[in-house]
Amino acid sequence: MNKSIQGKRLAEFHYLVERAKIRELAEAIGDPNPIYRESGEACAEGHPEIIAPPTFGTAINLWGGLGFSEICNQLGANPIRVLHAEQDYEYFEPVCAGEALQCTMTVAGFQVKEGRAGEMHLAVLETIAFNQKGLKVLVGRSTILEKLAEG
Amino acid sequence: MAKAIVFEDLKVGDQMPPLVKEPVTLVQLVRYAGASGDFNPLHYDPAVGQKAGFGGVIAQGMLIMGFAGQAISSWIPNRYLRKFKVRFLGLTRLNEVITITGKVVEKREPDRCIMCQVVAKDEKGELKLKGTFEAQLPRL
Repeated sequence: MNKSIQGKRLAEFHYLVERAKIRELAEAIGDPNPIYRESGEACAEGHPEIIAPPTFGTAINLWGGLGFSEICNQLGANPIRVLHAEQDYEYFEPVCAGEALQCTMTVAGFQVKEGRAGEMHLAVLETIAFNQKGLKVLVGRSTILEKLAEG
Repeated sequence: MAKAIVFEDLKVGDQMPPLVKEPVTLVQLVRYAGASGDFNPLHYDPAVGQKAGFGGVIAQGMLIMGFAGQAISSWIPNRYLRKFKVRFLGLTRLNEVITITGKVVEKREPDRCIMCQVVAKDEKGELKLKGTFEAQLPRL
């Protein structure tokens, strides 16, 4: 990847938050919290439906937007040299099952750094999600790193 | 369900209840790949992990952040969480036992926010991720 990707709009997409996907992510993490499974538990906390876990943004991005290999493709990055360096979420409204989100994913930053293993390229992928009321619910920023040197 | 927690309950230095996870398994990485949509073969194909120089598969960083999210939301209800940010500092391999710890580092009175640190380590004490989160809590 190179600085030409700065500001690039990678995807614009709808994402329907499904109960089964929330549960599947909680199961994979091994998180037994009933608010990810039982509407009654979520309602007791004031939500209309089961609620998404804090890292659900990753499923929104990768299932709703672009998959890992498509992202690498669009960025011109070699998948085998790519690592996830940082992740940042800002939460504005709870994300509940049944919501239809409107999302955009852009390259919000690009940087070249000199690391122990040689030159590295860092890209910040920012996803902003709005609910059907037009309220911003979630901003996610993934910093991915591509190592250029061998080994 | 997380217990009702209020701003007055917490003070700087208070620890988040630690979370000790089961050992990471290949099945878990495969399930997480499917759940999250991260199908990077580094996370489930040992040959690709070898080729990349990791000596085998490595866990998705987001799985470890998910563990941290589990620790946070079993302490503070999700609806109070405002920010959650981590840096991935170490690779996680199969059979490692990840422990999540955290503590309150600052309290902000005007908007009732607590700022906390969160850390993930394996059983040898090797750091996997380090981060911060902010939660806006109700008053008593």
